[in-house]
Amino acid sequence: MNAKSISRRRFLELVGAAGGATAVYQTSLALGLMQETGAPASLNLLNIGRAKKTVAILGAGMSGLTIAYELERAGYDCRIIEASHRIGGRNLTLRSGDVVDEMGNRQVCQFDDEPHLYFNAGPARIPGHHRRVLHYCKVLGIDLEIMANDNRRAYTQEPEVFGGRPVQKREYMADARGFMSELLYKAANRNAFDMPMSGEDRERMLEFAIAFGDLDPNGLYKGSNRAGYASGGFLKAGELKGTLDFSELLKSNFWRYGMHFSETEDWAAPLMTPVGGMDNIVKAFVRNIRSPITLNAQVQSIQLRNDGVDIVYNHKGRQHKLAADYCFNSIPSHFIDGIHNNFPADYASGLATLERGHLSKIGLQMKKRFWEDEEIYGGITSTSQEIGEIWYPSHGIFKQKGILLGAYLFGFSRRTRAPSNFFEKMTPEERIRFAGEQGDNIHKGYSGYIENGVSIPWGRMNHMMGCGAGWSDEARDQYFSRLQNPEGRHYMVGDQISYHTSWQEGAFASAEFALQDLDRRVRAEMSAVATAA
Amino acid sequence: MKNRGRNGFNHRMISLAFCLLWPTLTAASDKPVIAPAKFVYCSVCHGMDLKGNRNIQATRLSGMEAWYVSRQLEAFSKGWRGTHDADLPGIEMRPMAEALSAAEIDEAAHYVASVSSPMPIPTIQGDVARGASLYPSCGACHGSRAEGNQSLGGPALTTQNDWYLVTQLRNYRNGIRGQHAEDTYGQQMRAAAQLLAGETAILDVVAYISTMQPKEEN
Repeated sequence: MNAKSISRRRFLELVGAAGGATAVYQTSLALGLMQETGAPASLNLLNIGRAKKTVAILGAGMSGLTIAYELERAGYDCRIIEASHRIGGRNLTLRSGDVVDEMGNRQVCQFDDEPHLYFNAGPARIPGHHRRVLHYCKVLGIDLEIMANDNRRAYTQEPEVFGGRPVQKREYMADARGFMSELLYKAANRNAFDMPMSGEDRERMLEFAIAFGDLDPNGLYKGSNRAGYASGGFLKAGELKGTLDFSELLKSNFWRYGMHFSETEDWAAPLMTPVGGMDNIVKAFVRNIRSPITLNAQVQSIQLRNDGVDIVYNHKGRQHKLAADYCFNSIPSHFIDGIHNNFPADYASGLATLERGHLSKIGLQMKKRFWEDEEIYGGITSTSQEIGEIWYPSHGIFKQKGILLGAYLFGFSRRTRAPSNFFEKMTPEERIRFAGEQGDNIHKGYSGYIENGVSIPWGRMNHMMGCGAGWSDEARDQYFSRLQNPEGRHYMVGDQISYHTSWQEGAFASAEFALQDLDRRVRAEMSAVATAA
Repeated sequence: MKNRGRNGFNHRMISLAFCLLWPTLTAASDKPVIAPAKFVYCSVCHGMDLKGNRNIQATRLSGMEAWYVSRQLEAFSKGWRGTHDADLPGIEMRPMAEALSAAEIDEAAHYVASVSSPMPIPTIQGDVARGASLYPSCGACHGSRAEGNQSLGGPALTTQNDWYLVTQLRNYRNGIRGQHAEDTYGQQMRAAAQLLAGETAILDVVAYISTMQPKEEN
């Protein structure tokens, strides 16, 4: 290898070290190393005409609704059986008067009855590469808007650093990049790399470091307007903020994840959301589906036959039996062991390996949009306190009130990193107090603005008892393909049967896979029948 | 933005469009027993016919005596169970029990006692002979055939999932269950669990208990 040449891989590593994942992605595209996202989903299902095939769909979440939408258009006769009191699964937008059916803690949402006072308690964001979700938004005419997932004016706050005070993300990130660029500049200047660089490369590297960190011409970082001015900038010259203490910055944990979060696969800006609430997707499907949807219908038994699937369910105290040609089952896998079934042992074992997700969110109605007085419009504050995040609504700017996301928990303690369901354990009132107390460490008077709140611990939601399923690497290797493919005429579906659990795109992708499989076999069966005739 | 369309869902909820293709048999003769509406909640975790669900560590309730169900619901409600940080399934159960009135606990206990399901399938591997030699001290309260003894407060064990017995024996041994000063029966059992000298003894005795399942017509 020529000492002056640099492999593409090494080049990408350097780009990644300097510019993060986004820079690598962009550079890879430019080098032609990566394919761009494919075209929108096109299922092209065979219309079965008068062949009359019946389909039982278990669960009226996103995968079930998609399957009904597509199959009824292809001539199948579908029925949707849903155990809970509502359609949509974890696509849940809460508004005034809505019931939160938490086990033992039934709540009624007390938000004011205003169009902008809603809370997306499940999915809330759609990135541009979730092409299946976007395909249906487009086809169903759902209005989308951009939502600020990343807001550099929002804060990072950790009790242990900077005296516990919230620091604007822009300030933290500008200083972190400035300090690191200064080091890069020094290293390049001394040619202190394990592989010597040519003079021209070194010159460009020095320029890169200056641009990347906003260094002065001597390669020193003395603050940047990227951190926001301390004062001025309009009628008098802008005055730079002093730089943060480098040692404190290193001591913080924001650089571990929070600093790069808006560059990750699914959270890179911009993100989108339906105008008025994520459940507009659910409503649009419901408007466009003719198949009957039976709510409060709990599946008790799933029996596989050679030529179909028998379902027994309980609805209003009576047992009903459905004999279907095909079954699409999005029931959370952790319930299957409690439902009578005749699944083969390995199929049941596979379903038992999925772990329940324990995500929780809390929505708080604030009587004043105090964050807008702090120049925050949308986006997220990150904290190492247990609440983790505060989301400011991107919509309803300058209205009197707004709904904040006041805590976002993932089933472990952010302090100890150990699994913990302490939030689930609290009463709804305790959760609001808890969110308020920690919010007070970020915004002065925070808890005083709280009028009411609604908490959604998905691990306790009736008929769900879990959020996005967890797959260990071993379980993926052993069972993913087994569960993704049908057992007889029974298909497990939902975001649980995808590599994108707890995302709607996972549910749509799973539905698409199952529908394509069904279509292939039905085409084969029908052509066999036609040949025989 | 004015149209929130929330009511748009509701009329569809009861959509029972009649469809000739579908043989809808009511009161099907299949095994599952219909739970009263207020107890459908139980079966979400505890499974159909309350047969238990290992995936979410939910106890098998069918076969449990009404008096024992009442006592445990009260224990959850009082915080004797479901408060220890290591008892995640217990913590999950507790708010449900807290939401029940005394009358509802009674009703729930009688509902549970009315439900039956096929006997649990053994899953635990252990030395049955060794388990048999350990069992007599258990049998003092739970009965020589593990059939239960209300007068001594010992519930039947043979109707329980073996994995659940193992979990509970570990919990008693580790002070996760039976640690509350007012939980007399729990404390007794905690002391009794100390007689089992470790994990192997637990597995052995549970494996033996499974062998005492009454044979049933199925």
